[in-house]
Amino acid sequence: MARGDEAAYGLVYAQLAGHVIGIARSVLRDPAQAEEVAQEVLLEVWRDAARYDPHRGTAKAWVMTLAHRRAVDRVRSEQAAADREQRAAKLEVSYDVVAETVAARLDAEQVRRCLGSLTDLQQESITLAYYRGFTYRQVAALLKVPVGTVKTRMRDGLIRLRDCLGVD
Amino acid sequence: MRRFRVRGTDPHTLAGAYALDALGASDRARFERHLSGCPACAQEARGLQEATARLSDTLATQPPEGMRERVMAAAARTRQNPPAARPARAGSAGWPGRRWGIALACGVLAVAVVVGGLAFHMQQQLNQDQSRSRAIAAVLNAPDAAMMTVAASRTRGSGTIVMSHQAHALVFTAARLPSLPSSERYELWLMGSSGPRAAGMLPAPRAGMTAPVIVSGLRSGDEFAVSAEPASGSRHPSSPMIMKVTLPS
Repeated sequence: MARGDEAAYGLVYAQLAGHVIGIARSVLRDPAQAEEVAQEVLLEVWRDAARYDPHRGTAKAWVMTLAHRRAVDRVRSEQAAADREQRAAKLEVSYDVVAETVAARLDAEQVRRCLGSLTDLQQESITLAYYRGFTYRQVAALLKVPVGTVKTRMRDGLIRLRDCLGVD
Repeated sequence: MRRFRVRGTDPHTLAGAYALDALGASDRARFERHLSGCPACAQEARGLQEATARLSDTLATQPPEGMRERVMAAAARTRQNPPAARPARAGSAGWPGRRWGIALACGVLAVAVVVGGLAFHMQQQLNQDQSRSRAIAAVLNAPDAAMMTVAASRTRGSGTIVMSHQAHALVFTAARLPSLPSSERYELWLMGSSGPRAAGMLPAPRAGMTAPVIVSGLRSGDEFAVSAEPASGSRHPSSPMIMKVTLPS
């Protein structure tokens, strides 16, 4: 076992584990399952770190995309889907953040401010998909709007979010 | 040109739903096939994924007690996969001598990544990295290791500190610090009751981020600070601190 790799991994963990567990909790709404998924994701990062390609995006996006994908896959698996039916009615999304650092708080505030600059439908579509893991078809049903509209709002909303955040 | 439809819809409009993981499994698979043949769409999807990733900033929280130990222990038991087979890109490994893991870590810490540089042929350069890696590992693997992020005053810059009193050291890396004239560098300081102690120079950033540096000689009650100094280093700070934080005892 190369110790340098473990050290590097420690840095990765220190910086991103809080985000990974946050995503898993938000989507799964179940602390035990969230921790399970978060650990799987973090282990996958360790296993596949050599496959991370910086030409395809930032390391953070790579890890966050993986985390969200795994959380969503889990929530859509049959067992979870059954549990979730009852919770679907509760749609309010709270950003219950425990950001301990100023920089983290500023980052989060910037995201909230940019989310706030979207139209209601853009914001709701993105929020339900990202923070709760719904498909665009489910989002359309929940918001009682056509699926085509939801798809379009997700895309133009994310474009606006991207430009507001200054990422590319 | 390959035509493609997801259930009769224009696939381009799915980029947002894709970035949000809001496609079902079969739509997702089809959209990914579409991306592989449409570089412009792939580029858009990546940009939207970067934006989507930022949504997680509002969710970041304290991981559960003991998770770090469990994950680190699982990692120690888990074999790592080799890089995906693709042609070696000479010169693209911007961190020569750094192991892939360090490259990923630097990328993660600086949030914006410029370099990959992961290869097995870097073995020969490992030796010079090893003592530094060991020192970093000592901090990171210390039971009392604590991480914090510090904002630089009046700029968008930030620093990340991983510290351990047991290891008497901290690991520091910075991102987006204002660039300095070539005659100056950022110097790190530990400040205790007996005044500031020079704690090393920050390496010149590459594309706005610096490789992690190890600062040893950490004492309880120290503050950590950063100031711009002549490139040769100062014994005492000669300019205002751009970053200063009280370290937990």
